Amino acid sequence: MRYYLRKLAFYLVALWAALTLNFVIPRLMPGNPVDILLAKLQLRGGSVDPAARRSFELLLGGGGDESVVSQYLSYLGNVFRGDLGVSVSAFPAPVSQVIADSLPWTVVLVGIATLLSFLVGIALGALVGWKRGTWLDALVPATTVLSAVPYFWLALILVAVFASALGWFPLLGGYDVVLSPGWDAEFLSSAIYHGTLPALTIVVSSIGGWLLGMRNMMVSAASEDYVLTAQAKGLRDSRIMIRYATRNAVLPSVAGVAISLGFVVSGSIITEQVFSYPGIGSKLLQAVQNNDYALMQGIFLVITVAVLGANLVVDLLYALIDPRTRVTG
Amino acid sequence: MTNPSPVTAPSRTKDGRRAMLPRWSPKLGVGLGLIGAIALFGVVGPLVVGDPNAVRDIGLTAPGGEHWLGTTQTGQDVVAQIAFATRGSLRIGLLVGLMATVLSAVFGIVGSYAGGIVDELFSLFSNVMLVIPGLPLVIVIAGFVPAAQRGSWTIAVVLAITGWAASARVLRAQTLSLRNRDYVAAAKVAGEKTWRVITVEILPNLLPLLASQFVFAVVLAILSEAGLSFLGLGASNSSTLGTMLYYAQNGFALQREAWWWFVPPGLVIALFGCGLSLVNFSIDEIINPKLRDVPRRPGKVAEALRVTPAERGEDDAVLTVEDLSVVYQGDKPVHAVKGVSLTLRRGEILGLAGESGCGKTTLAYAVNRLHKPPAEVTSGAVTFHDRDGTDTDVLGLGPEELREFRWTKLSMVFQGAMNALSPVTSVAAQLDDVLTTHRPGMSRADRRARCVEVFELVGVDPARLGSFPHELSGGMRQRVMIAMALLLDPQVMIMDEPTTALDVVVQRGILLEILKFRDELGFAVLFITHDLPLLLEISDRIAVMRDGEVVELGTAQDLHLDPRHPYTRELLDSFPSLTGDRGGFIRGTEPALHDGGVR
Repeated sequence: MRYYLRKLAFYLVALWAALTLNFVIPRLMPGNPVDILLAKLQLRGGSVDPAARRSFELLLGGGGDESVVSQYLSYLGNVFRGDLGVSVSAFPAPVSQVIADSLPWTVVLVGIATLLSFLVGIALGALVGWKRGTWLDALVPATTVLSAVPYFWLALILVAVFASALGWFPLLGGYDVVLSPGWDAEFLSSAIYHGTLPALTIVVSSIGGWLLGMRNMMVSAASEDYVLTAQAKGLRDSRIMIRYATRNAVLPSVAGVAISLGFVVSGSIITEQVFSYPGIGSKLLQAVQNNDYALMQGIFLVITVAVLGANLVVDLLYALIDPRTRVTG
Repeated sequence: MTNPSPVTAPSRTKDGRRAMLPRWSPKLGVGLGLIGAIALFGVVGPLVVGDPNAVRDIGLTAPGGEHWLGTTQTGQDVVAQIAFATRGSLRIGLLVGLMATVLSAVFGIVGSYAGGIVDELFSLFSNVMLVIPGLPLVIVIAGFVPAAQRGSWTIAVVLAITGWAASARVLRAQTLSLRNRDYVAAAKVAGEKTWRVITVEILPNLLPLLASQFVFAVVLAILSEAGLSFLGLGASNSSTLGTMLYYAQNGFALQREAWWWFVPPGLVIALFGCGLSLVNFSIDEIINPKLRDVPRRPGKVAEALRVTPAERGEDDAVLTVEDLSVVYQGDKPVHAVKGVSLTLRRGEILGLAGESGCGKTTLAYAVNRLHKPPAEVTSGAVTFHDRDGTDTDVLGLGPEELREFRWTKLSMVFQGAMNALSPVTSVAAQLDDVLTTHRPGMSRADRRARCVEVFELVGVDPARLGSFPHELSGGMRQRVMIAMALLLDPQVMIMDEPTTALDVVVQRGILLEILKFRDELGFAVLFITHDLPLLLEISDRIAVMRDGEVVELGTAQDLHLDPRHPYTRELLDSFPSLTGDRGGFIRGTEPALHDGGVR
């Protein structure tokens, strides 16, 4: 119980830090983003009334005579109501609408790709670590190269080979544009078809990290006493590998998801850009290019909250697989 | 339970410094070669390749002739561009790597050394920074800074700020463990100033880790910067490999199949990152020596072994060890067990005594072929004489036969049961494993009943079957181990220092039970310990080992009253005497309590 409370408290602190960071950064930056936004808003035919000005000022600072503390409190209030302001690049859609449209694409893509690369990487790493001294060792330097490859470059290469040269997969996009999004088979298969290369990019670039980490832990676990005991017990090698070595060696990898998830999300933002994937990463870059500060901040918040949430889930799962965390008191 | 290996750990003196340097290996060679070549290219290249920005009217020329790697859309030479871009990427990578390492050292080392609230705050801060995704944050910051004001320093600082947290966490964990080491405590007691303790005692020991974190930070920085530049959010005044890829992407290099424009820059990043990772492997091996390239395979039994299974002796032997030799192969082979011959009789307790490193554990492991390379059985024979009349040549068993032999005929109880049980699996599952493997015909209910039965035998409440090892006391864990060893009703049990880590009262209780089981169940015990007085108390016969040889073998009584070998006398004298008599640890003058006292 204490473990869960500690974790929950930690993520609340992290969430507060992210919210505060989001509030502070624009106020520390040069220039006057509010005026830029309002000018853009006017260009798009939005009404530049005091209400619009105030909502931007809460997000970005500057302008009014309101104290920082009261701005901060109103800002927090807005965020918790889900009011993230108006997007000027997608006017008149509010930021929350833009995010709601693009987030599912990214969650599904990154979620599936990450799960896949985690599972395959862990399984291969366990095997390579257990069978060290065999030809499988050659996988180690190979994956080292893979994990040093920049995501976007790998994406470019995959596009060049499988989309441009061979024509097996589409060059870009998340679905065939002649279809209208919906839960029908045609649309889903189109989405899967379009998502294959982006997912492959994420899987290939992130699998090396899991594999290497798992392999090293497996090598350590193989020399633990409980493995020797299991051997003395006359258990089959496969059983020792899975039930004893892997079961123990996987713990640090699961605990390390927190560190890796940030990298994966970062990588997938750039990957989305290469494929013009309709996810939240592409939207973030569009927002940056269009100086759509409200959207930019909203997306940053949502990405952060999503990563924090995923980490919390992983931490809770961790408690299930490591009985030692469940110690009370 | 330490696997006795004569490969000694490097001392802190002369070899200590050598241990801080990576061992030469092909991986290290290739890694250093890649880094060296690319660094050289980045440093010297720009001096010889000419102007990277010179525009020619030969846009997108394929490689060949004057332009080895062709030209860009505007006819710029790709080689020249790469040379300058490599320099730019290396510069920012080093800069960020350095800053991030310093930041992580401050938060990781200083925090954990200071301890208390400072540590709590620093660690909380690092962890929060760790879970907030870096690149989105960098993108947002870069988005707020107008392009004209985005210099390479701005980018470097932002990358450093978002990239130090993972290292800080690793450094903190290591510092915490170093902080509690004896020599650090000694320095503190001696009144050394805090900064001196950190710089003199802690930092040098963290160097390999710091080096590996620095390498990691450089790789990360180069990759992040490349990503940022690729998105068009990099420093406006510098050209890096990421910038090159940005122009390639926007110049439709992909669509025009101008592979020479976008493949080489990424390749340089990948190869450089790969080189650094390979070097990191070697550094990791210093930090964790287990990772060194020792193949994990079963211990070898010499091919040309004289296999002459022993005759079944007239004295009802259950296990015969004949002329067994075990050698730790290496540059200087170490003969850990030298021609040992022993006979274990049915139902007897044979003590094996000797000081640490005398080869007794090596001998015990070799009997069950649990020895690991570089240990190798070079000569001898181990024969198991089954109750049913068959004899088994243990050293000659095939892998599958050996697996079936283990635990059914011969089980083991190891020292430190803390680690002999897997910490993440319930005790019941670890007992059940044995039954599912060796008794595939048993039903789930039967297996459960058998587990309950052995738990009751060793005096542990069967309700504890569902417990995990960390929920049991040391004594209970050892009883669980014994229960596990009893599961298949084996004929021989090898016990390696089974009670050494326990307090005297618990130890005594467990010993009494072992004696009781021996009488009730009739298995023979090979009992290994450095504690000769204890052996005198429980054993029927005792073998004294020294430097891999059995120097004396006799009944407990003979050994106690009339030790022949000077070493046996020495061992007996080395134990504290409570009564003034030699071996006075044993209360009274009766040498072996099992002749009457204990039962």
